[in-house]
Amino acid sequence: MSKASIEAYARALFEIAEAEGHVDIVENELFRVARAFESNEQLRSTLTDATIPADRRQNIVDQLLGGKASNTTTQLVSLVVGSGRSKDLPAIIDTLVKRASSEKELEVAEVRSAVELSADQQKRLAAALTKATGKQVNLKVVVDPAVIGGLVATVGDEVIDDTVRTRLEQLKSRI
Amino acid sequence: MIVRAFSLLAAEDPTVTHSWLLPETAEIIYGGLASILVFGLLYKFAGPLAKKALVARTERIQKELDGAAQARTSSETDAADIRKTLGDIDSERTRLLAEADAQAAALIVDGRTRIASEIADLEAKAAADLVAAQGRGAEELRSEISLLASRAVPAVVQATLTDQTKQDLIEAFISSVGAMR
Repeated sequence: MSKASIEAYARALFEIAEAEGHVDIVENELFRVARAFESNEQLRSTLTDATIPADRRQNIVDQLLGGKASNTTTQLVSLVVGSGRSKDLPAIIDTLVKRASSEKELEVAEVRSAVELSADQQKRLAAALTKATGKQVNLKVVVDPAVIGGLVATVGDEVIDDTVRTRLEQLKSRI
Repeated sequence: MIVRAFSLLAAEDPTVTHSWLLPETAEIIYGGLASILVFGLLYKFAGPLAKKALVARTERIQKELDGAAQARTSSETDAADIRKTLGDIDSERTRLLAEADAQAAALIVDGRTRIASEIADLEAKAAADLVAAQGRGAEELRSEISLLASRAVPAVVQATLTDQTKQDLIEAFISSVGAMR
């Protein structure tokens, strides 16, 4: 899929979310869906399998997100899957998130953690990242057990990594 | 005279003799004459033949003697040649044996040198292989330990990392990021 098509899909989804009036919630939920899609091989292979009818793949999305995400989020993901663009779902969502952030003049800050962050931790972390990077950030937390412990934050091209996984990798290379 | 002699002989009785030992005088005379005649004829006619035969025999014998002498000389020459050849063969054999000995000695020396060189090479190669094997063994051991450690450490860390420690790490991260500028 071309970058222009991804941009077009992202713009369309953003406009739908904006029209529904809860962009922040949808944006957060879509971001989590994108990360789950990237990390879950079975989910990815199922949603991108062209031999499975589109309506069945959409049913899978409804079953997975029903009750856990907003109706708008579920419908937007279902729309992308139904149009046969499942493979580009993370790219479309990331573009949407960037667009939403730039609308608010924010920089997306993707933070990976082994455990959920509390609201207070997210608030303090966003403030710390804003101070460190000099940019207002739109914090997106991804729970990734592979991190083991600590956090890794990516703001634009800048990466601040203080995870146990990275330390173990360093230790491993030293060994 | 011959005729008279024959007539005398014819006139006498041959079976009667006057002496038991000696013949009659006439017999002696005629016999003597006849013998002289016979010997004379023999001398005249058979003598040259006999002499010739004797000369020829002498010549033949001489020739045989000469041939024998020549054969002897030839044999002696041959014997000398054979002796010389034997001498040459002996010297050739001696030379060949000496040459063979020299070649064998050179071969032995060369073989010993080559074997010594090969042994030295093999020892050097074995030593190098040993060192390499030791190095490989140590490297493999190190690699194995590293592999085991790299597999074990994450599991150990994950097993020992409590929720409180995870929260402490998050707080430490927030603090360190906040202190960056």
